Amino acid sequence: MSEQPSLWWIDLRLSRAPFVREMIGRFLFFCLLGVAFLSLILSGGGSRFLADRYAITAVLRAEVPAAEAEGLVRKVAALPPVRSAAYTDPEAAWKEFLRAYPGLDSLRGAGGNPMPGYIEIRIRPERLTGADVALVASALRSVSHVERVLAGEEWLPRLLRAGRVASRACWGIFGVFLAAFFLVGRLQERARAVALAGDFAFLAERGVSIGRLAFFRAAGAAVSGFFLAAAGTAAGGGALFLLLGRFPSLEGVIGPPSDLLLPRTVAAAVLFSLGAALLSAAASLLGGRAAGSGRK
Amino acid sequence: MIEGFRLGVFSRGTTLWDGLDFAFGDAAAWFVAGPPSSGKTLLLSILRGERRPDAGDVVVSGESLYRGNAAIGRAWRASCGHVPGQAISDARLTVGDLFRRSALACGGVRESERLARTDRLLEMVGLPGALGWRIPEMSISERVRASLAAELLRGPKVLFCDGVVAGAGILYRERLWGLFRALAREGNTVVLAERTIPERWALAAGDPEPIGPFRVYRLPVPGGKGETG
Repeated sequence: MSEQPSLWWIDLRLSRAPFVREMIGRFLFFCLLGVAFLSLILSGGGSRFLADRYAITAVLRAEVPAAEAEGLVRKVAALPPVRSAAYTDPEAAWKEFLRAYPGLDSLRGAGGNPMPGYIEIRIRPERLTGADVALVASALRSVSHVERVLAGEEWLPRLLRAGRVASRACWGIFGVFLAAFFLVGRLQERARAVALAGDFAFLAERGVSIGRLAFFRAAGAAVSGFFLAAAGTAAGGGALFLLLGRFPSLEGVIGPPSDLLLPRTVAAAVLFSLGAALLSAAASLLGGRAAGSGRK
Repeated sequence: MIEGFRLGVFSRGTTLWDGLDFAFGDAAAWFVAGPPSSGKTLLLSILRGERRPDAGDVVVSGESLYRGNAAIGRAWRASCGHVPGQAISDARLTVGDLFRRSALACGGVRESERLARTDRLLEMVGLPGALGWRIPEMSISERVRASLAAELLRGPKVLFCDGVVAGAGILYRERLWGLFRALAREGNTVVLAERTIPERWALAAGDPEPIGPFRVYRLPVPGGKGETG
Protein backbone atom coordinates (compact mmCIF):
# COMPACT_ATOMS: atom_id res chain seq x y z
CA MET A 1 0.00 0.00 0.00
CA SER A 2 1.31 3.48 -0.86
CA GLU A 3 1.98 5.98 1.90
CA GLN A 4 -0.55 8.76 2.49
CA PRO A 5 0.41 11.87 0.50
CA SER A 6 1.06 15.09 2.37
CA LEU A 7 -1.77 17.51 1.70
CA TRP A 8 -0.19 20.54 3.38
CA TRP A 9 -0.20 23.57 1.05
CA ILE A 10 -1.82 21.47 -1.63
CA ASP A 11 -3.30 24.57 -3.28
CA LEU A 12 0.12 26.18 -3.48
CA ARG A 13 1.64 23.03 -4.95
CA LEU A 14 -1.11 22.60 -7.51
CA SER A 15 -1.70 26.19 -8.49
CA ARG A 16 1.32 28.27 -7.51
CA ALA A 17 0.88 31.49 -9.51
CA PRO A 18 -2.83 32.17 -8.79
CA PHE A 19 -2.32 31.20 -5.15
CA VAL A 20 0.60 33.60 -4.72
CA ARG A 21 -1.39 36.38 -6.44
CA GLU A 22 -4.30 35.86 -4.05
CA MET A 23 -1.98 35.87 -1.05
CA ILE A 24 -0.38 39.14 -2.15
CA GLY A 25 -3.86 40.65 -2.52
CA ARG A 26 -4.85 39.45 0.93
CA PHE A 27 -1.66 40.81 2.45
CA LEU A 28 -2.34 44.27 0.98
CA PHE A 29 -5.91 44.12 2.25
CA PHE A 30 -4.67 43.14 5.70
CA CYS A 31 -2.28 46.12 5.64
CA LEU A 32 -5.28 48.43 5.22
CA LEU A 33 -7.33 46.52 7.77
CA GLY A 34 -4.34 46.55 10.13
CA VAL A 35 -4.09 50.36 9.97
CA ALA A 36 -7.84 50.65 10.59
CA PHE A 37 -7.79 48.08 13.40
CA LEU A 38 -4.84 49.62 15.24
CA SER A 39 -6.30 53.13 14.83
CA LEU A 40 -9.58 51.94 16.32
CA ILE A 41 -7.87 50.09 19.16
CA LEU A 42 -5.59 53.01 20.07
CA SER A 43 -8.21 55.71 19.68
CA GLY A 44 -10.83 53.69 21.57
CA GLY A 45 -13.36 54.71 18.94
CA GLY A 46 -13.77 58.42 19.73
CA SER A 47 -12.74 58.20 23.39
CA ARG A 48 -9.23 59.56 22.96
CA PHE A 49 -10.53 62.48 20.88
CA LEU A 50 -13.10 63.36 23.55
CA ALA A 51 -10.71 62.78 26.44
CA ASP A 52 -8.20 65.06 24.80
CA ARG A 53 -10.73 67.87 24.77
CA TYR A 54 -12.55 67.27 28.02
CA ALA A 55 -11.29 68.49 31.40
CA ILE A 56 -12.75 68.89 34.89
CA THR A 57 -11.90 72.21 36.49
CA ALA A 58 -11.80 72.48 40.26
CA VAL A 59 -11.89 76.16 41.23
CA LEU A 60 -10.06 76.65 44.54
CA ARG A 61 -10.94 79.07 47.29
CA ALA A 62 -8.95 82.30 47.28
CA GLU A 63 -7.13 81.62 50.53
CA VAL A 64 -5.76 78.18 49.59
CA PRO A 65 -1.93 78.22 49.81
CA ALA A 66 0.01 76.94 46.80
CA ALA A 67 1.58 74.09 48.83
CA GLU A 68 -1.81 72.74 49.85
CA ALA A 69 -3.10 73.09 46.29
CA GLU A 70 -0.13 71.06 45.04
CA GLY A 71 -0.87 68.41 47.71
CA LEU A 72 -4.45 68.27 46.48
CA VAL A 73 -3.20 67.87 42.89
CA ARG A 74 -1.13 64.83 43.93
CA LYS A 75 -4.15 63.26 45.65
CA VAL A 76 -6.39 63.90 42.64
CA ALA A 77 -3.79 62.53 40.22
CA ALA A 78 -3.77 59.29 42.23
CA LEU A 79 -7.45 58.64 41.45
CA PRO A 80 -7.70 55.73 38.94
CA PRO A 81 -9.67 57.54 36.22
CA VAL A 82 -7.37 60.57 36.22
CA ARG A 83 -4.74 60.86 33.52
CA SER A 84 -3.27 64.18 34.68
CA ALA A 85 -3.97 66.99 37.12
CA ALA A 86 -2.32 70.41 36.95
CA TYR A 87 -2.53 73.34 39.33
CA THR A 88 -2.66 76.91 38.01
CA ASP A 89 -2.05 79.55 40.71
CA PRO A 90 -4.13 82.79 40.82
CA GLU A 91 -1.38 84.85 39.18
CA ALA A 92 -1.07 82.47 36.21
CA ALA A 93 -4.86 82.31 36.00
CA TRP A 94 -4.99 86.13 35.78
CA LYS A 95 -2.46 86.13 32.94
CA GLU A 96 -4.46 83.48 31.10
CA PHE A 97 -7.56 85.62 31.56
CA LEU A 98 -5.86 88.67 30.14
CA ARG A 99 -4.61 86.66 27.16
CA ALA A 100 -8.17 85.54 26.51
CA TYR A 101 -9.76 88.94 27.18
CA PRO A 102 -7.21 91.67 26.55
CA GLY A 103 -7.93 95.16 27.79
CA LEU A 104 -9.62 94.14 31.03
CA ASP A 105 -6.64 95.02 33.24
CA SER A 106 -8.80 97.51 35.07
CA LEU A 107 -10.63 94.66 36.79
CA ARG A 108 -7.55 94.22 38.98
CA GLY A 109 -8.07 97.29 41.05
CA ALA A 110 -7.80 97.92 44.70
CA GLY A 111 -9.22 94.53 45.55
CA GLY A 112 -6.20 92.76 44.01
CA ASN A 113 -6.31 89.69 41.74
CA PRO A 114 -9.92 88.64 41.25
CA MET A 115 -8.97 85.25 39.66
CA PRO A 116 -8.83 82.16 41.88
CA GLY A 117 -6.34 79.32 41.41
CA TYR A 118 -7.68 76.13 39.87
CA ILE A 119 -6.83 72.50 39.15
CA GLU A 120 -7.38 71.13 35.65
CA ILE A 121 -8.01 67.37 35.64
CA ARG A 122 -7.89 65.22 32.53
CA ILE A 123 -9.45 61.77 32.39
CA ARG A 124 -7.91 58.64 30.87
CA PRO A 125 -9.60 57.92 27.48
CA GLU A 126 -10.65 54.42 28.51
CA ARG A 127 -12.16 55.78 31.78
CA LEU A 128 -14.14 58.60 30.20
CA THR A 129 -17.55 57.49 31.43
CA GLY A 130 -20.31 59.23 33.36
CA ALA A 131 -19.58 57.13 36.45
CA ASP A 132 -15.86 57.87 36.49
CA VAL A 133 -16.39 61.58 35.90
CA ALA A 134 -18.95 61.62 38.74
CA LEU A 135 -16.44 59.79 40.96
CA VAL A 136 -13.76 62.41 40.39
CA ALA A 137 -16.19 65.35 40.66
CA SER A 138 -17.69 64.10 43.93
CA ALA A 139 -14.21 63.46 45.36
CA LEU A 140 -13.29 67.07 44.56
CA ARG A 141 -16.53 68.51 45.92
CA SER A 142 -15.92 66.90 49.27
CA VAL A 143 -12.66 68.84 49.67
CA SER A 144 -13.09 72.05 51.68
CA HIS A 145 -10.46 73.94 49.61
CA VAL A 146 -12.53 73.50 46.46
CA GLU A 147 -15.12 76.18 45.90
CA ARG A 148 -16.64 74.86 42.73
CA VAL A 149 -16.25 71.90 40.34
CA LEU A 150 -16.92 72.46 36.64
CA ALA A 151 -17.40 69.03 35.11
CA GLY A 152 -20.03 69.77 32.46
CA GLU A 153 -22.24 67.04 33.94
CA GLU A 154 -25.35 68.46 32.32
CA TRP A 155 -24.07 67.95 28.73
CA LEU A 156 -21.49 65.21 29.27
CA PRO A 157 -23.94 62.24 28.94
CA ARG A 158 -25.02 63.46 25.50
CA LEU A 159 -21.42 63.91 24.43
CA LEU A 160 -20.49 60.43 25.66
CA ARG A 161 -23.51 58.93 23.89
CA ALA A 162 -22.48 60.63 20.65
CA GLY A 163 -18.96 59.25 21.18
CA ARG A 164 -20.30 55.73 21.68
CA VAL A 165 -22.40 55.99 18.52
CA ALA A 166 -19.37 57.22 16.54
CA SER A 167 -17.27 54.40 17.99
CA ARG A 168 -19.86 51.77 17.06
CA ALA A 169 -20.15 53.24 13.58
CA CYS A 170 -16.37 52.99 13.11
CA TRP A 171 -16.32 49.37 14.33
CA GLY A 172 -19.33 48.65 12.14
CA ILE A 173 -17.48 49.91 9.06
CA PHE A 174 -14.50 47.79 10.09
CA GLY A 175 -16.85 44.80 10.42
CA VAL A 176 -18.20 45.45 6.92
CA PHE A 177 -14.64 45.33 5.56
CA LEU A 178 -14.00 42.08 7.44
CA ALA A 179 -17.22 40.63 6.01
CA ALA A 180 -16.11 41.76 2.55
CA PHE A 181 -12.79 40.01 3.10
CA PHE A 182 -14.65 36.84 4.07
CA LEU A 183 -16.97 36.95 1.05
CA VAL A 184 -14.18 37.70 -1.43
CA GLY A 185 -12.03 35.02 0.21
CA ARG A 186 -14.87 32.52 -0.10
CA LEU A 187 -15.28 33.34 -3.79
CA GLN A 188 -11.54 32.99 -4.36
CA GLU A 189 -11.48 29.66 -2.53
CA ARG A 190 -14.46 28.47 -4.53
CA ALA A 191 -12.88 29.51 -7.83
CA ARG A 192 -9.65 27.77 -6.88
CA ALA A 193 -11.53 24.62 -5.83
CA VAL A 194 -13.32 24.61 -9.19
CA ALA A 195 -10.03 25.09 -11.05
CA LEU A 196 -8.43 22.26 -9.10
CA ALA A 197 -11.47 19.96 -9.22
CA GLY A 198 -9.71 17.63 -11.66
CA ASP A 199 -6.72 17.30 -9.35
CA PHE A 200 -8.93 16.72 -6.32
CA ALA A 201 -10.99 14.10 -8.17
CA PHE A 202 -7.76 12.39 -9.19
CA LEU A 203 -6.60 12.31 -5.57
CA ALA A 204 -9.99 11.13 -4.31
CA GLU A 205 -9.94 8.34 -6.87
CA ARG A 206 -6.59 7.29 -5.46
CA GLY A 207 -7.76 6.96 -1.88
CA VAL A 208 -7.39 10.50 -0.55
CA SER A 209 -10.38 11.24 1.65
CA ILE A 210 -12.35 14.35 0.65
CA GLY A 211 -12.69 15.27 4.33
CA ARG A 212 -8.92 15.06 4.84
CA LEU A 213 -8.39 17.19 1.74
CA ALA A 214 -10.87 19.83 2.96
CA PHE A 215 -9.27 19.78 6.41
CA PHE A 216 -5.76 20.37 5.10
CA ARG A 217 -6.94 23.05 2.68
CA ALA A 218 -8.70 24.84 5.56
CA ALA A 219 -5.69 24.37 7.83
CA GLY A 220 -3.43 25.83 5.15
CA ALA A 221 -5.82 28.75 4.72
CA ALA A 222 -5.87 29.32 8.49
CA VAL A 223 -2.07 29.27 8.81
CA SER A 224 -1.58 31.55 5.79
CA GLY A 225 -4.44 33.79 7.03
CA PHE A 226 -2.80 34.13 10.45
CA PHE A 227 0.63 35.00 9.11
CA LEU A 228 -0.71 37.31 6.40
CA ALA A 229 -2.86 39.15 8.95
CA ALA A 230 0.06 39.35 11.40
CA ALA A 231 2.40 40.62 8.67
CA GLY A 232 -0.25 43.00 7.31
CA THR A 233 -1.00 44.37 10.78
CA ALA A 234 2.71 44.79 11.48
CA ALA A 235 3.18 46.63 8.19
CA GLY A 236 0.06 48.71 8.89
CA GLY A 237 1.39 49.46 12.38
CA GLY A 238 4.68 50.59 10.87
CA ALA A 239 2.84 52.88 8.46
CA LEU A 240 0.77 54.27 11.33
CA PHE A 241 3.94 54.84 13.36
CA LEU A 242 5.44 56.89 10.54
CA LEU A 243 2.16 58.74 9.98
CA LEU A 244 1.90 59.73 13.65
CA GLY A 245 5.53 60.88 13.58
CA ARG A 246 4.91 63.02 10.52
CA PHE A 247 1.56 64.43 11.63
CA PRO A 248 1.68 64.84 15.42
CA SER A 249 -1.79 66.40 15.42
CA LEU A 250 -3.17 62.88 14.81
CA GLU A 251 -1.93 61.87 18.24
CA GLY A 252 -4.92 63.66 19.74
CA VAL A 253 -7.22 61.27 17.90
CA ILE A 254 -5.21 58.03 17.66
CA GLY A 255 -2.65 58.30 20.41
CA PRO A 256 1.12 58.45 20.69
CA PRO A 257 3.22 56.14 18.45
CA SER A 258 4.68 54.46 21.53
CA ASP A 259 1.23 53.00 22.30
CA LEU A 260 1.66 50.74 19.26
CA LEU A 261 4.22 48.73 21.21
CA LEU A 262 2.14 48.35 24.37
CA PRO A 263 1.52 44.69 25.32
CA ARG A 264 -2.25 45.18 25.05
CA THR A 265 -1.90 46.54 21.49
CA VAL A 266 0.27 43.57 20.51
CA ALA A 267 -2.22 41.18 22.16
CA ALA A 268 -5.07 42.81 20.22
CA ALA A 269 -3.10 42.39 16.96
CA VAL A 270 -2.54 38.70 17.75
CA LEU A 271 -6.26 38.26 18.45
CA PHE A 272 -7.06 40.01 15.17
CA SER A 273 -4.69 37.65 13.34
CA LEU A 274 -6.36 34.66 14.99
CA GLY A 275 -9.74 35.99 13.87
CA ALA A 276 -8.40 36.38 10.34
CA ALA A 277 -7.15 32.78 10.49
CA LEU A 278 -10.59 31.54 11.51
CA LEU A 279 -12.27 33.56 8.76
CA SER A 280 -9.79 32.22 6.19
CA ALA A 281 -10.41 28.63 7.29
CA ALA A 282 -14.18 29.14 7.17
CA ALA A 283 -13.91 30.74 3.71
CA SER A 284 -11.87 27.77 2.53
CA LEU A 285 -14.33 25.20 3.90
CA LEU A 286 -17.42 27.00 2.60
CA GLY A 287 -15.81 27.85 -0.75
CA GLY A 288 -14.70 24.24 -1.22
CA ARG A 289 -18.13 22.95 -0.27
CA ALA A 290 -19.87 25.39 -2.62
CA ALA A 291 -17.56 24.29 -5.45
CA GLY A 292 -18.35 20.65 -4.70
CA SER A 293 -22.09 21.24 -4.75
CA GLY A 294 -21.93 23.57 -7.76
CA ARG A 295 -23.42 26.51 -5.88
CA LYS A 296 -22.19 30.10 -6.05
CA MET B 1 -5.52 -11.58 -4.68
CA ILE B 2 -8.55 -9.59 -5.84
CA GLU B 3 -11.75 -11.58 -5.56
CA GLY B 4 -15.23 -10.62 -6.62
CA PHE B 5 -18.03 -12.71 -5.10
CA ARG B 6 -21.46 -12.95 -6.68
CA LEU B 7 -21.04 -9.48 -8.18
CA GLY B 8 -24.13 -7.91 -9.65
CA VAL B 9 -24.85 -4.54 -11.22
CA PHE B 10 -28.20 -2.95 -11.80
CA SER B 11 -27.94 -0.21 -14.39
CA ARG B 12 -30.31 1.74 -16.68
CA GLY B 13 -33.33 0.00 -15.22
CA THR B 14 -32.08 -3.49 -15.88
CA THR B 15 -29.68 -6.05 -14.44
CA LEU B 16 -26.44 -5.74 -16.37
CA TRP B 17 -24.98 -8.84 -14.81
CA ASP B 18 -25.41 -10.74 -11.57
CA GLY B 19 -23.78 -13.54 -9.61
CA LEU B 20 -20.35 -13.21 -11.26
CA ASP B 21 -17.28 -14.53 -9.47
CA PHE B 22 -13.82 -13.22 -10.31
CA ALA B 23 -10.40 -14.08 -8.97
CA PHE B 24 -7.37 -12.08 -10.07
CA GLY B 25 -4.20 -13.52 -8.62
CA ASP B 26 -1.23 -11.38 -7.64
CA ALA B 27 1.81 -10.84 -9.86
CA ALA B 28 -0.09 -11.51 -13.07
CA ALA B 29 -1.47 -9.66 -16.08
CA TRP B 30 -5.19 -10.21 -16.62
CA PHE B 31 -7.15 -9.35 -19.71
CA VAL B 32 -10.92 -8.91 -19.46
CA ALA B 33 -12.53 -8.83 -22.89
CA GLY B 34 -16.16 -7.89 -23.27
CA PRO B 35 -18.49 -6.47 -25.91
CA PRO B 36 -19.46 -2.77 -25.91
CA SER B 37 -21.80 -1.74 -23.07
CA SER B 38 -21.15 -4.94 -21.19
CA GLY B 39 -19.96 -3.06 -18.10
CA LYS B 40 -16.17 -3.36 -18.37
CA THR B 41 -15.53 0.15 -17.04
CA LEU B 42 -18.06 -0.50 -14.28
CA LEU B 43 -16.33 -3.75 -13.37
CA LEU B 44 -12.98 -1.97 -13.09
CA SER B 45 -14.45 0.77 -10.91
CA ILE B 46 -16.00 -1.88 -8.66
CA LEU B 47 -12.70 -3.74 -8.37
CA ARG B 48 -10.90 -0.46 -7.61
CA GLY B 49 -13.27 0.26 -4.73
CA GLU B 50 -14.79 3.26 -6.48
CA ARG B 51 -18.32 2.01 -7.07
CA ARG B 52 -20.19 -0.25 -4.69
CA PRO B 53 -21.71 -3.25 -6.53
CA ASP B 54 -25.46 -3.69 -6.28
CA ALA B 55 -24.88 -7.26 -5.23
CA GLY B 56 -21.91 -9.21 -3.94
CA ASP B 57 -18.61 -7.97 -2.57
CA VAL B 58 -14.98 -7.46 -3.50
CA VAL B 59 -12.33 -8.92 -1.20
CA VAL B 60 -8.69 -7.90 -1.44
CA SER B 61 -6.14 -9.89 0.55
CA GLY B 62 -8.97 -11.17 2.74
CA GLU B 63 -10.46 -7.72 3.48
CA SER B 64 -13.84 -6.62 2.15
CA LEU B 65 -13.67 -3.35 0.23
CA TYR B 66 -17.30 -2.42 0.72
CA ARG B 67 -18.41 -4.05 3.95
CA GLY B 68 -15.36 -3.35 6.07
CA ASN B 69 -13.56 -0.28 7.33
CA ALA B 70 -13.64 2.67 4.91
CA ALA B 71 -9.93 3.22 5.56
CA ILE B 72 -9.19 -0.17 3.97
CA GLY B 73 -10.97 0.95 0.81
CA ARG B 74 -8.98 4.20 0.75
CA ALA B 75 -5.69 2.39 1.33
CA TRP B 76 -6.58 0.00 -1.49
CA ARG B 77 -7.37 2.84 -3.88
CA ALA B 78 -4.11 4.52 -2.91
CA SER B 79 -2.21 1.38 -3.91
CA CYS B 80 -3.95 1.14 -7.28
CA GLY B 81 -3.16 2.86 -10.53
CA HIS B 82 -5.91 3.62 -13.00
CA VAL B 83 -5.62 4.57 -16.64
CA PRO B 84 -9.09 5.64 -17.75
CA GLY B 85 -10.54 5.02 -21.16
CA GLN B 86 -12.18 8.44 -21.39
CA ALA B 87 -10.07 11.26 -22.76
CA ILE B 88 -9.08 13.96 -20.30
CA SER B 89 -10.96 17.12 -21.23
CA ASP B 90 -9.19 19.78 -19.13
CA ALA B 91 -7.84 22.17 -21.77
CA ARG B 92 -5.12 23.57 -19.49
CA LEU B 93 -3.52 20.25 -18.55
CA THR B 94 -0.10 19.31 -19.81
CA VAL B 95 1.67 15.97 -19.66
CA GLY B 96 3.78 17.44 -16.86
CA ASP B 97 0.57 18.13 -14.89
CA LEU B 98 -0.39 14.45 -15.13
CA PHE B 99 2.94 13.48 -13.59
CA ARG B 100 2.68 16.21 -10.95
CA ARG B 101 -0.74 14.90 -9.93
CA SER B 102 0.49 11.36 -9.82
CA ALA B 103 3.50 12.31 -7.68
CA LEU B 104 1.20 14.22 -5.36
CA ALA B 105 -1.03 11.19 -4.89
CA CYS B 106 1.77 9.00 -3.61
CA GLY B 107 3.71 11.57 -1.60
CA GLY B 108 7.33 11.41 -0.64
CA VAL B 109 8.72 11.70 -4.20
CA ARG B 110 11.53 14.22 -4.43
CA GLU B 111 11.36 16.70 -7.30
CA SER B 112 14.65 15.56 -8.85
CA GLU B 113 13.62 11.92 -8.59
CA ARG B 114 10.23 12.68 -10.11
CA LEU B 115 11.76 14.46 -13.09
CA ALA B 116 14.27 11.66 -13.71
CA ARG B 117 11.58 8.98 -13.52
CA THR B 118 9.23 11.06 -15.67
CA ASP B 119 11.78 11.24 -18.49
CA ARG B 120 12.41 7.49 -18.34
CA LEU B 121 8.71 6.63 -18.32
CA LEU B 122 7.86 8.95 -21.19
CA GLU B 123 10.63 7.42 -23.23
CA MET B 124 9.33 3.96 -22.35
CA VAL B 125 5.86 4.72 -23.77
CA GLY B 126 7.27 6.39 -26.87
CA LEU B 127 6.76 10.02 -25.84
CA PRO B 128 10.24 11.41 -25.16
CA GLY B 129 10.25 15.15 -24.45
CA ALA B 130 6.46 15.34 -24.19
CA LEU B 131 6.45 16.86 -20.70
CA GLY B 132 5.26 20.27 -21.86
CA TRP B 133 2.70 19.01 -24.37
CA ARG B 134 -0.88 20.06 -23.81
CA ILE B 135 -3.27 17.13 -23.43
CA PRO B 136 -6.02 18.50 -25.73
CA GLU B 137 -3.48 18.85 -28.52
CA MET B 138 -2.42 15.21 -28.32
CA SER B 139 -3.87 12.22 -30.15
CA ILE B 140 -5.87 9.55 -28.31
CA SER B 141 -2.91 7.21 -28.48
CA GLU B 142 -0.55 9.81 -27.03
CA ARG B 143 -2.99 10.71 -24.25
CA VAL B 144 -3.43 7.08 -23.24
CA ARG B 145 0.30 6.41 -23.21
CA ALA B 146 0.99 9.62 -21.27
CA SER B 147 -1.66 8.67 -18.70
CA LEU B 148 -0.18 5.19 -18.39
CA ALA B 149 3.32 6.59 -17.86
CA ALA B 150 2.01 9.05 -15.24
CA GLU B 151 0.33 6.22 -13.33
CA LEU B 152 3.51 4.15 -13.42
CA LEU B 153 5.37 7.03 -11.75
CA ARG B 154 3.76 6.04 -8.45
CA GLY B 155 4.71 2.40 -8.86
CA PRO B 156 1.21 1.05 -8.15
CA LYS B 157 0.97 -2.55 -6.93
CA VAL B 158 -2.17 -3.01 -8.99
CA LEU B 159 -2.78 -1.30 -12.32
CA PHE B 160 -6.24 -1.07 -13.88
CA CYS B 161 -6.26 -0.09 -17.56
CA ASP B 162 -9.50 0.66 -19.32
CA GLY B 163 -9.23 0.46 -23.11
CA VAL B 164 -5.53 1.25 -23.07
CA VAL B 165 -4.46 -1.37 -25.63
CA ALA B 166 -7.06 -0.23 -28.15
CA GLY B 167 -6.42 3.44 -27.37
CA ALA B 168 -2.64 3.18 -27.75
CA GLY B 169 -3.01 1.73 -31.24
CA ILE B 170 -1.53 -1.22 -33.10
CA LEU B 171 1.93 0.36 -33.32
CA TYR B 172 2.36 0.28 -29.56
CA ARG B 173 0.75 -3.11 -28.86
CA GLU B 174 3.99 -5.01 -28.68
CA ARG B 175 5.56 -2.40 -26.45
CA LEU B 176 2.56 -2.62 -24.07
CA TRP B 177 2.62 -6.42 -24.23
CA GLY B 178 6.21 -6.35 -23.00
CA LEU B 179 5.49 -3.65 -20.42
CA PHE B 180 2.51 -5.40 -18.80
CA ARG B 181 4.28 -8.73 -18.64
CA ALA B 182 7.36 -7.05 -17.17
CA LEU B 183 5.21 -5.38 -14.51
CA ALA B 184 3.64 -8.73 -13.61
CA ARG B 185 7.05 -10.38 -13.43
CA GLU B 186 8.11 -7.72 -10.91
CA GLY B 187 5.21 -8.73 -8.65
CA ASN B 188 2.55 -6.24 -9.79
CA THR B 189 -0.96 -7.10 -10.87
CA VAL B 190 -2.33 -5.67 -14.11
CA VAL B 191 -5.99 -5.84 -15.04
CA LEU B 192 -6.84 -4.75 -18.59
CA ALA B 193 -10.37 -4.25 -19.87
CA GLU B 194 -10.83 -4.21 -23.65
CA ARG B 195 -13.47 -4.98 -26.22
CA THR B 196 -11.28 -7.49 -28.01
CA ILE B 197 -7.99 -9.13 -27.31
CA PRO B 198 -5.28 -8.89 -29.95
CA GLU B 199 -5.00 -12.22 -31.74
CA ARG B 200 -1.39 -12.86 -30.80
CA TRP B 201 -2.14 -12.14 -27.14
CA ALA B 202 -5.09 -14.53 -27.22
CA LEU B 203 -2.98 -17.26 -28.72
CA ALA B 204 -0.30 -16.79 -26.08
CA ALA B 205 -2.82 -16.63 -23.23
CA GLY B 206 -4.68 -19.78 -24.16
CA ASP B 207 -8.30 -20.51 -23.37
CA PRO B 208 -10.15 -17.72 -21.54
CA GLU B 209 -12.46 -18.24 -18.60
CA PRO B 210 -15.96 -17.12 -19.56
CA ILE B 211 -17.57 -15.09 -16.76
CA GLY B 212 -20.94 -13.56 -17.65
CA PRO B 213 -20.47 -11.36 -20.72
CA PHE B 214 -16.70 -11.32 -20.22
CA ARG B 215 -13.79 -13.52 -21.28
CA VAL B 216 -10.95 -13.41 -18.76
CA TYR B 217 -7.45 -14.23 -19.99
CA ARG B 218 -4.32 -14.63 -17.93
CA LEU B 219 -1.42 -13.32 -19.99
CA PRO B 220 1.73 -15.38 -19.80
CA VAL B 221 4.45 -13.81 -17.71
CA PRO B 222 8.09 -14.40 -18.68
CA GLY B 223 9.68 -16.70 -16.14
CA GLY B 224 6.26 -17.38 -14.64
CA LYS B 225 4.08 -20.49 -14.62
CA GLY B 226 3.62 -22.02 -18.05
CA GLU B 227 6.04 -19.65 -19.75
CA THR B 228 9.55 -20.33 -20.77
CA GLY B 229 10.60 -16.84 -21.70
